[in-house]
Amino acid sequence: MDELIYTLKQQIIEALNLEDMTPEDIDENASLFGEGLGLDSIDALELIVLMEKNYGIKLKDPAQGKEIFKSVAVMADFISKNRTK
Amino acid sequence: MAPILITGMGVVSAIGVGQAETLDALLNNRSGVGPLAYLKTEHKEFPVGEVKLTDAEMRARLGIPETAITTRTALMGMLALEEALCDAHLTPGMLPQVGFISGTTVGGMDMSEQFYLDYISSEAHKEYIAVHDCGSCTEMTANRFGKFAFTTTLSTACSSAANAIILGANMIRCGEADIVVVGGSECITKFHLNGFNSLMILDTEPCRPFDATRRGLNLGEGAAYLVLESEESAKRRCVKPQAMLSGYGNACDAFHQTASSPDGEGAYRAMKEALEEAGIKPADVDYINAHGTGTTNNDASESQAMKRLFGDQVPPVSSTKPFTGHTTSASGSIEAVFCIMALQQGFLPVNLNWSQPMEDGIIPVSQPTKKALKHVLCNAFGFGGNDSSLLLSKPES
Amino acid sequence: MMESKEIYVLSAKQVSVQQPLSEDWMRDPVVYDVPFARAIDPSFKDYVSPIEARRMGKILKRALATSKEALKAAGLETVDTIITGTGYGCIENTEFFLDALSKDGEQLLKPTYFMQSTHNTISSLVAIQTRNHGYNVTYAHKGISFDSALQDVWLQFRLGKINSALVGGHDEMTETFYHILKKGGVMGKDDELCGEAAVSVVLSTENDNALCKLKSFKMLHQPSLTALKDEFADVDYVLTGISGDHENDKAYLNEARALFGDKPLLKYKHLFGESFTSSGLGFYVAAQCLHAGFVPPSLFVNPEEADDRKPKRILLYNRSDGKNCSLTMLEA
Repeated sequence: MDELIYTLKQQIIEALNLEDMTPEDIDENASLFGEGLGLDSIDALELIVLMEKNYGIKLKDPAQGKEIFKSVAVMADFISKNRTK
Repeated sequence: MAPILITGMGVVSAIGVGQAETLDALLNNRSGVGPLAYLKTEHKEFPVGEVKLTDAEMRARLGIPETAITTRTALMGMLALEEALCDAHLTPGMLPQVGFISGTTVGGMDMSEQFYLDYISSEAHKEYIAVHDCGSCTEMTANRFGKFAFTTTLSTACSSAANAIILGANMIRCGEADIVVVGGSECITKFHLNGFNSLMILDTEPCRPFDATRRGLNLGEGAAYLVLESEESAKRRCVKPQAMLSGYGNACDAFHQTASSPDGEGAYRAMKEALEEAGIKPADVDYINAHGTGTTNNDASESQAMKRLFGDQVPPVSSTKPFTGHTTSASGSIEAVFCIMALQQGFLPVNLNWSQPMEDGIIPVSQPTKKALKHVLCNAFGFGGNDSSLLLSKPES
Repeated sequence: MMESKEIYVLSAKQVSVQQPLSEDWMRDPVVYDVPFARAIDPSFKDYVSPIEARRMGKILKRALATSKEALKAAGLETVDTIITGTGYGCIENTEFFLDALSKDGEQLLKPTYFMQSTHNTISSLVAIQTRNHGYNVTYAHKGISFDSALQDVWLQFRLGKINSALVGGHDEMTETFYHILKKGGVMGKDDELCGEAAVSVVLSTENDNALCKLKSFKMLHQPSLTALKDEFADVDYVLTGISGDHENDKAYLNEARALFGDKPLLKYKHLFGESFTSSGLGFYVAAQCLHAGFVPPSLFVNPEEADDRKPKRILLYNRSDGKNCSLTMLEA
């Protein structure tokens, strides 16, 4: 799981263009949206693309993202249970 | 403000080429939205409102040679412009006294997206490079008919055509022109079909504006132009107005690039300004042709804006996008034509596919209804919060 | 009932192939001997946060930088209207999306690139950042995109709908796009310098340390300009948009000389480059000359005509592609 979390952080940084950040800068338990990293609804769409591209998980409804993208840890947990790649 | 007269119009969309076919579809609740048939794309899962003609068929109708450089947006524009000029009895010789203002966002993208890799690495199709931009599309459309007094292009996404109408009216009010042909044109492209899909706002079912189960929009394409004219000019030419543009408003939502504010601030301001310009009260509005795309966000936001302006007395509302799909840049003028038809024929266009009230939303017109109309509001809201509203009225006798 | 209040140009800021947000070009211009150059960018840190900047192409960051600087220089928090001209819109983001579409197909495309690719993104972003709900439109009509925006602002003032306005002219150019446009015969002819333009101008009916006044504006299509000759008898200098395209420049200068007789003709595109909204840079150049009280020698078409007169009235003559034309009069 640690490896997945680290890889996921790298992928998030790349997908969301967080140029000046490293995986070490992201707390996997901090909230990604709102107060934490401060991401928004468009970033949520980018994360949906990331999930399908890298892990073969297709989300039909953007609203599902609210729960899944709570934090990197929550995201990694969801991926490990649902990945097809 | 003194009303501006509308002395001609032309329209092309998924429900028909020309006014007669269009009116027939509206009166008989016949939608033009269906499976993709013309655009070459992988995404066959999305219903769309395509104009039922290939580019070649449009060229044939217009008498344009097969080898000519054309774009689909310009071809649809030409069909609509041809009808509008004829409707207003404007001959080629008169055009040097007539302005032309068109709205589009895709321009020649239908060609560029096909030839992009060629543009980069070969000499093939390079003659299309010069017609990629929006302005070239407008000029291609206009040049078919003659030399207009001036041409320019607006590009405010889904409110482009509405804003073209506003600019034309302002030019007449300032005495810069007596007659201006205004509107917009847009064809479906892979570029924006995929763009909207990446934003997850397309529905795989026919759209259901203001319905509790709505899940997104269907893209459409088309073109429409209105001939705006000063009263003095219409009198001089002895032409009867078909309708009047009594007021208009343009405001920026200033909330988000692709979402509307929860309280519909931009929409509210645009509609309010349209009424104030016309000097009429909310209670005088007989019908609203909503922007009503069928997305969760727009319909909620627009409902709030209408409730803020009209309180408990929201007039009959419908979205005609289930007929045509969302024609993006052209929607403001296509739906203005529908409003004028409604004024002329005394009916309320139906909000097709509606069955369940949404939470805190307006209840649209879902049954065929005859009603004498005097003032109707036509909304067009663009990405980035470019919100516009037109107040159209029956001509004074 | 038409308003006839004086319109003041309170400020004008630019990012281009010259030093950004500065008037260094007046005494020490950057000289180019290449057919294409990208703009010299300022640091954008003061104008847009990293979390916002990460998804913006250069054109958007430049629009924010020049708008915010122009508002600051004008001493205004906001204005009544924001109107923008852009010939090609957000090219960087359009390219990213089109590239992915062409090379990788129609799946898994990034929404950010699409979202920031439409022409009106620029004007609406400035409105979002300045919390401005006023009239907001975008024009995209080739070489008169900025001029069309200016025309609309002119109308809004005359109708009495506004007392202040932010007018912008923005175009960006990537290496790939430049080569495509050159191939298509749109840009890159002869000695042209193809550049990028970002200009924001604040106009107001209140004079507050104005740079100059906007006295008149006219736009014409394939016009016979001789009819207008007398209207512009009283100008000191005529700023033309000759660009290094030999054929077009020849026709341009012949017309200008026929219309404006012995008035010294000026040029600016050899310093600022050619783009669809370079006429916005022309506006900026003229406004700064009137404010500074001199016309730099580097601007004279005929160097022998260079003088140190204090300019009173400069006419901007944008002949565009020979079909669309605008005439803007600025006065000290």
